[in-house]
Amino acid sequence: MPEKRSPDKEQNPPQISDQALLEAQEAWSLAWQYMLKTGEQMVKSNNFLGRIKDKDVEIAETPADVVFEIDKVRLFRYRPLAEVRKDIPPMIICYGLFGRQTMIDLQEDRSLVRNLLMAGIDLYVVDWGNPTRADQYLNFDDYVERYLGSCVEYLYEANDKKPVNLFGICEGGTFAAMLAALRPELFAGLALAITPIDFHGDQENFWRGEGFLNSWVGNLSKDDVDLLIDTHGMLPGEMTGAVFSALTPIASMTKYNIGLARMEGNEAMMLNFLRMEKWIADRPDHPGEAARQWLNDLYRENLLVKGQFMLCGEKLDLSNITCPVLNIFAEQDHIIPVSCSKAMGNLLSDDQYEEIGFPGGHVGVFVSRKAQGVVAGGVVSWLEKRLDPLPDKKQKNEAGVKKKKSKKQIQG
Amino acid sequence: MTEKDTVEANMDQMFEVWEKGQQAFFKAQTEAMETFAKSFEGIKVEEGYPNWDSFIKSWVPDWDPNIFANKTGEFAGGFEATHNAFLAMLEPANWTQYAPEQLRVILQSIADGPKFADMATPQHEAAATWRESLDYSKAATDMGKVMQEAWIRTLGRFNEKYTVDDLKSANPEGAMNEWLKAANHELLETQRTQQFMDAQKRMIRASTEIKARQKETAEAWSAMYQMPTRTEVDDLTKTVHELRRELRTLKREVASLRGGN
Repeated sequence: MPEKRSPDKEQNPPQISDQALLEAQEAWSLAWQYMLKTGEQMVKSNNFLGRIKDKDVEIAETPADVVFEIDKVRLFRYRPLAEVRKDIPPMIICYGLFGRQTMIDLQEDRSLVRNLLMAGIDLYVVDWGNPTRADQYLNFDDYVERYLGSCVEYLYEANDKKPVNLFGICEGGTFAAMLAALRPELFAGLALAITPIDFHGDQENFWRGEGFLNSWVGNLSKDDVDLLIDTHGMLPGEMTGAVFSALTPIASMTKYNIGLARMEGNEAMMLNFLRMEKWIADRPDHPGEAARQWLNDLYRENLLVKGQFMLCGEKLDLSNITCPVLNIFAEQDHIIPVSCSKAMGNLLSDDQYEEIGFPGGHVGVFVSRKAQGVVAGGVVSWLEKRLDPLPDKKQKNEAGVKKKKSKKQIQG
Repeated sequence: MTEKDTVEANMDQMFEVWEKGQQAFFKAQTEAMETFAKSFEGIKVEEGYPNWDSFIKSWVPDWDPNIFANKTGEFAGGFEATHNAFLAMLEPANWTQYAPEQLRVILQSIADGPKFADMATPQHEAAATWRESLDYSKAATDMGKVMQEAWIRTLGRFNEKYTVDDLKSANPEGAMNEWLKAANHELLETQRTQQFMDAQKRMIRASTEIKARQKETAEAWSAMYQMPTRTEVDDLTKTVHELRRELRTLKREVASLRGGN
């Protein structure tokens, strides 16, 4: 029942005390001061944005030369920044197709590439180029066996037909693991970072925000995915970008307002931010057929970890990998859940497998300040440990080489 | 037979035809009325006007069926309003939102109906296109509703966490941080719900269907102006892709044979 108002109450509304008025005035005054302060911060950031040009925001500046090309794919060899260590086999880094490899060389003080070069690693990086609709029929056979395989074969030949190291990142890690299972004779070691292997993961134990991508794709039907790919030909970069932004909703909504204001025009902070923005903006379209496999066969059906993923006409078995494996995952990864990456360990023997859990997010593994020593340092010490492989492991490698050689001869 | 007898006989024959015709007419009318009455069985006469009123309003919500009753003498205005209401009924944008599901079913049945060789293809396509745009509108509305509910929950959560006493502390930055924290929490929680997933799935499906329809339209335009269509270019791309793959396989076989020799 609503309270009945007495005529007196309507004629004489309650008086606001002087104290309450004072408090309200004080609150408003402070709120205004805060708004003015925020405005001032924003003006400083805007002034900086007004002064700087796009060409001033440089990423991936470490010098490198193209040493091998196949179609749009180029293999870069980085110029050494320290004396190259002959005792460590050369390494190829392979990024995925959802973003560009420039992320691993974002800026001088946040560069996996530079850190590895400074440690004396002979370093090569795969650039997938800019796939267009003309590349829509490229699938995993092409990317794993034909493109990545050709790059690794090139380096294998250049290394006097001795096994090399492969470092795969994100989707590139999945490619790398597949190639290492398909052609184990080519590899001295396989490093993976933020790489999905079990695409379903431990869903019951996901923390809030973890595994959204897995659930989201899992909720689509095969028909939904097929319609998307058939209609667009490719998986549009804008679409994947929007999905990634949705994973961190508030951070995405506030980065151009509150985020910019809080930088107060600080040059170093603004440039870091703009470099990251430049990398995010450069999001290529994912070739359609490969995207169809990625979404339907891997994300939806989880065929890789079941040993049912078809590559070059055969079911791929990741336990065919014979080289030592280092698996780096991010403990707060909102894109690739930890359990999806750590599944690699279940497929390999204990003496073959090592892992590093980095206390950060997906991209933070490469661009955060604290990651600089952890990731590159971890990889280098793992490579050094492998200089004297255990005798039984060496025998296992050689056995694997013999086995796969006969297999490749049959394939021609 | 005299001439008189002949005329009377003709008249009798004519009356007989008339009589039988009339009987047949009344019989048909009786059957029609019985059928009509059966179809209205169970409907209460007193509910007839409200039902009609509701039916009209569902199509043209702004029109007042009592316009003549309420404004005695103002027939010109009444007729104009009725005329406008009638026109409004013909404008799809005015009523599709009130009966989308029924309309969707009708459009889908037209789109899925049997195809004729020389007739009605554009009508099939138009029905399918219309159905797709309805689906998109509905999907966008549903998605908006899910997000609106998330923001309402955010407000509730913020109000629970941030009290009047906190406001008195006059720390606007603290208030904003609390708001962002509440929003982040609610949005992430919302994203995990089946309701959100399904709404987004329907949005993607509906927008992709529209994109596919645009592609068909563009293809028709390309064909009309003797330009290669997207499908033709895709076919060529696929052919080139397969040829390159065969070439690579052949090269490997040749290299393997040479190595063997």
